[in-house]
Amino acid sequence: MMSKLATNMVYFIAVFACVGLLPALLPADDRPADQTDLNDSAVENPLGSSVTTLTAGQNHWAFQPVKKPPRPDVVEHTWPLSEVDFFLLSRLEDEGLTPSEDADRYTWLRRVSFDLTGLPPTVEEIRHFRDDTPPLAFAAVVDRLLASRAFGERWARYWLDLVGYADQIGTSNNIFAEYAWRYRDYVIDTLNEDKPFDRFIREQIAGDLLEYDSVEEQAANIAATGFLVLGDLEIVEADKAKLHADIIDQQLVKIGKAFLGMTIGCARCHDHKFDPIPQRDYYALAGFFYGTQSVYKTDQGVWSDAIDIELPETESDKAARTERTRRHTERIAALKQERSQAVARKSELDELVEKGEPPADQEVARDEVTKERDELTGRIEQLDKKIGHAEFFTPTVPRAYGVRDIGQPVDMRVTVRGNPHNLGDKVPRGFLQVVSNVLPDIPQTESGRRQLADWLASPENPLTARVAVNRIWQKLFGTGLVQSVDYFGLRGETPSHPELLDHLAATFIEDGWSQKRMIRSLVLSRAYRMNSENNERGSDADVGNRLFWRMNRRRLDAEALRDAILAVSGQLQPAAGGPAMPLEYPENVNNIDPESVNPPSFEIVKFRPEQAFQRTIYLPVLRSEPQPGTADLRNMFDFTQPAQFAGQRSITAVPTQALYLMNSPFVKKHAEDLAQRIMQDATDSDARLELLWLRALNRPITVEEKLDAEAFLVDDDNHDWIELSHAVLASSEFLMRL
Amino acid sequence: MKRIPTLDRFSRRHWLQTSTCGFGGLALHSLMSRTASAATGPLDARAPLHEPRAKRVIFLFMAGGPSQPDLFDPKPLITRKHGQKIVAPIDDQQIRVGIANSVALGPVAPVRPRGESGMMLSDLMPHVASVADDLCLLQAMCTDNKAHAPATLQFHTGTLSDSLPSMGSWISYGLGSENEDLPSFITIHPPNDVRSYGSSFLPAAHQGTPVNVPEDDMASAIKYLRDPDTNANVQRRRLDFLQRMNKRLLDRVETDAQIEGIIESFELAFRMQSETPKLVDLSGETSETLELYGIGDEQADRHGRACLMARRLSEAGVRFVQVTVRGWDHHGDILTDLPKSCAGVDKPIAGLIKDLKRRGLLDETLVLWSGEFGRSPWSQDISGKSPIEKHGREHQQESFCSWMTGGGVKAGITYGSTDDFGYLPIEGRVHLHDLHATMLHLLGLDHEQLTYPHAGRDFRLTDVYGKVVDEIIA
Repeated sequence: MMSKLATNMVYFIAVFACVGLLPALLPADDRPADQTDLNDSAVENPLGSSVTTLTAGQNHWAFQPVKKPPRPDVVEHTWPLSEVDFFLLSRLEDEGLTPSEDADRYTWLRRVSFDLTGLPPTVEEIRHFRDDTPPLAFAAVVDRLLASRAFGERWARYWLDLVGYADQIGTSNNIFAEYAWRYRDYVIDTLNEDKPFDRFIREQIAGDLLEYDSVEEQAANIAATGFLVLGDLEIVEADKAKLHADIIDQQLVKIGKAFLGMTIGCARCHDHKFDPIPQRDYYALAGFFYGTQSVYKTDQGVWSDAIDIELPETESDKAARTERTRRHTERIAALKQERSQAVARKSELDELVEKGEPPADQEVARDEVTKERDELTGRIEQLDKKIGHAEFFTPTVPRAYGVRDIGQPVDMRVTVRGNPHNLGDKVPRGFLQVVSNVLPDIPQTESGRRQLADWLASPENPLTARVAVNRIWQKLFGTGLVQSVDYFGLRGETPSHPELLDHLAATFIEDGWSQKRMIRSLVLSRAYRMNSENNERGSDADVGNRLFWRMNRRRLDAEALRDAILAVSGQLQPAAGGPAMPLEYPENVNNIDPESVNPPSFEIVKFRPEQAFQRTIYLPVLRSEPQPGTADLRNMFDFTQPAQFAGQRSITAVPTQALYLMNSPFVKKHAEDLAQRIMQDATDSDARLELLWLRALNRPITVEEKLDAEAFLVDDDNHDWIELSHAVLASSEFLMRL
Repeated sequence: MKRIPTLDRFSRRHWLQTSTCGFGGLALHSLMSRTASAATGPLDARAPLHEPRAKRVIFLFMAGGPSQPDLFDPKPLITRKHGQKIVAPIDDQQIRVGIANSVALGPVAPVRPRGESGMMLSDLMPHVASVADDLCLLQAMCTDNKAHAPATLQFHTGTLSDSLPSMGSWISYGLGSENEDLPSFITIHPPNDVRSYGSSFLPAAHQGTPVNVPEDDMASAIKYLRDPDTNANVQRRRLDFLQRMNKRLLDRVETDAQIEGIIESFELAFRMQSETPKLVDLSGETSETLELYGIGDEQADRHGRACLMARRLSEAGVRFVQVTVRGWDHHGDILTDLPKSCAGVDKPIAGLIKDLKRRGLLDETLVLWSGEFGRSPWSQDISGKSPIEKHGREHQQESFCSWMTGGGVKAGITYGSTDDFGYLPIEGRVHLHDLHATMLHLLGLDHEQLTYPHAGRDFRLTDVYGKVVDEIIA
């Protein structure tokens, strides 16, 4: 999704483009890149590489090699704390601007806590930081946050937005993706281990083909390839050739967006209209997946299913599973025994009734028999469902969705106008020619995904590192250096600070593609410390803050908002991952009859009790329905639809959000918990107000606020405190990090 | 000083315009007139590109795939061969199920010529049949997928996967709203897939607002519209405190479009709580009108209420109102189930058309009736063991029937025809993209010009397809 500002801009452009005012309205350097030259000179032949397009495209900034620029000179020598600061300050000085003052320590702590972990700081953390000595205090906080499990839980969700993650396969018939969570947990672990980003790429594209040193590593490699499968697979597609082509398309679109910032999918049916991607390149890349299997045809009706792959187990895993299997078998036996007893008793009663006993004049006794018989009928039905369910979900070897190479992979043929039954020429597997026209050396029996992964993860690839560091920057500073974070093509935004972008990309590669170290260096910069308040001078020159003369304020996304409410109410419960879908409850599962033409499906009517208190990333993500349960605020607060691959969410303010904050049982409940907690932890209203502000807004209450709040607390009773807590949880300041 | 290349000077105003949705138009307008007199909001009514034939759309979506061989397009060949195996030219690239016992299946009830036009309509919809001379029946519609989810998505957004703006959003984007107090796109009993009313990359103001017909006094039409345990004064007092907090924050950061947007959204939400129930309250309608829509009738009540609400919203100026009716997926026992589905909508739909007509609204309102696809002329028997009386019909996207009425379409015509089986179009084929193009055309919009730039290219509802069906335009 585009940034807020970019969205405004396109809206603006769109409205005027319709009536033909655009060229006159926009100053020359604001106009979108002009494509006429490219279009005019592009070679018509759909199979040949459009030489002119490629040559013209090669001049585009994003395809230039990354070069580490020298540190620029600055006048205000005392301001910079890190390399980044020199680049920003130098540009600000060029424009006659000065950076904003440092934010106060409370603001900085809340900011860095949300940005790194998606959670607010605790009262203890705030007090500790307040009393700690600079400059080491800042680094100590950052190191603590980066080392917490919450870091991976926060940043994994950003990555899942680019993957189309959901706990459902396709959108038809509510088919559960039983093992999708393995990929989600893999991403969390990867971030927390600070696995190098180039390795992260290799595992997701070709994990199944990589060497490994341990069972755990092998399992992680397999789970990583879930990246290629967990999209909106329409497994009910009746035309299987089309299904295969559509899956490949989805894989290319995802890889293009997530790693390269390119819209490769545009070249499926013709040469890309704007970017130097001939149709030939699409099929060269598609070839890597033509020899890769992601789904298989099941025995049921028209259905296919995503491939699930057994994961290797450690010895202790195996022992634990044996024990689980034993208990499970016992449970089934017990259920069956109960069932046969119920059936026996019911037939006794049936017999009685049939014989006309007890006689009609003994009304009470008669009613009792009928009642017991009806209860037994219901009970047997229930037991049948439980037994069927238990027999379906037996403990098995752990599995994950992933891919595998097919026997003899071959190159793919062009599908004419995207029609998989109308095939054109074969295209040898290869890469985007505008970046590299060297054909990879692929062993005959392999799909070539390993070679593709190496190319994507190469330090020489001009796109990968730039796209990656720009994403990190955007998550910390609110807008990207390139504002169109998923699109670095000719029609995308140009970088606001090209040298800084290259500095970051080069440093990232040099530093072993470590995301944690990149994040650490950015949040310890002076730039990250600036306050987010406006000033006239800055607003006059650069109201959109493209030059970063102040920090951008950010509204919390759906996950951070829910998690923050749980955290301040004191109800947040830690979780270690695992299945999101509560499929262990028979009432949540339908259609497990193997004779059915449709696969087993879900209907979530019951959650595990603890799911109401766990972080949002652990709750089920659905494709075909609004998001369920206590995470339903994702339906109002700009959650990325899982059919999309989007590195940035839109931020809207619509009345349905306000209705949620005012009236939802979730916010009301946690306002009550928060109030109760405050009232327990402090005894007089003065101390309670201090605590409420510190806990929810992470700063001391001001005198003015205190007067206002005291006036609000007419009776100073339970009800007043709940109302006050509710108001604080719905306030703009709670919804944002400044 | 160098000029910084950005349009951000407009950001605050634009952010407000593009972000605040629906119900709050009026207050938004007044807020903006205080701050930016020349502003135009995304929902402000906009002039169409050419002379429109319709101002508004009501889309009656029959989810599941209503059976056109039973309702509109019976075939003598099929009726003659009823119960017998037939060899048909079906596409062998597609896997099919439940066809081992597949036989020709004649209509489950008589289908006869109606009115002066002689349009073919089933006895299962006598009330709709009585307005046949107002309808424009498309007998050779087609789409691209035979599974519900992708087909439904395509019907609403033009695409089989991905997440693109829905047609209601495009129309809202193209024309804005005629009523500043209402959203421009409302979807009653919406399909499950939120993308069917999503605005995707179009500004959020154009997203559909899902509404339910409240089943009792405690139910609310919009989720979280009310908090039954808190009285309005207590809520207002809390809201006042919270708004004071918000304003203090705004003062502290000097200016912030986002915070202003949030402040405004709370006021709108508060007003929605009292305004929305009035909007969905049907008690002001006469008993004759209620009767016309089949309200009070056991089978038709729910859809009658939905259709009447649709008329009220449309009359009030909502550009695009959708009513979804589920339950048309008749894979088995179509003999029993199709009459039930028809009884649920016959009066509501006919009532809607008659009501629009007598109010003089039909000329400017385009009503579209369609499923996401239709059903096969031969039977389906998933169990493989049922007698023909218990057979149903399989999905069919190769050809099916939809109809339109009102704003700018010819009345009393049947357009297009299918082969002897009722399987493939032979003339007057209308692909879904053509239907979208035609609908936009009737609203005064050009489907090739109504575009929005996103991710480096211009998107449109019809992608690279679509042709206006001139033959059906009055």
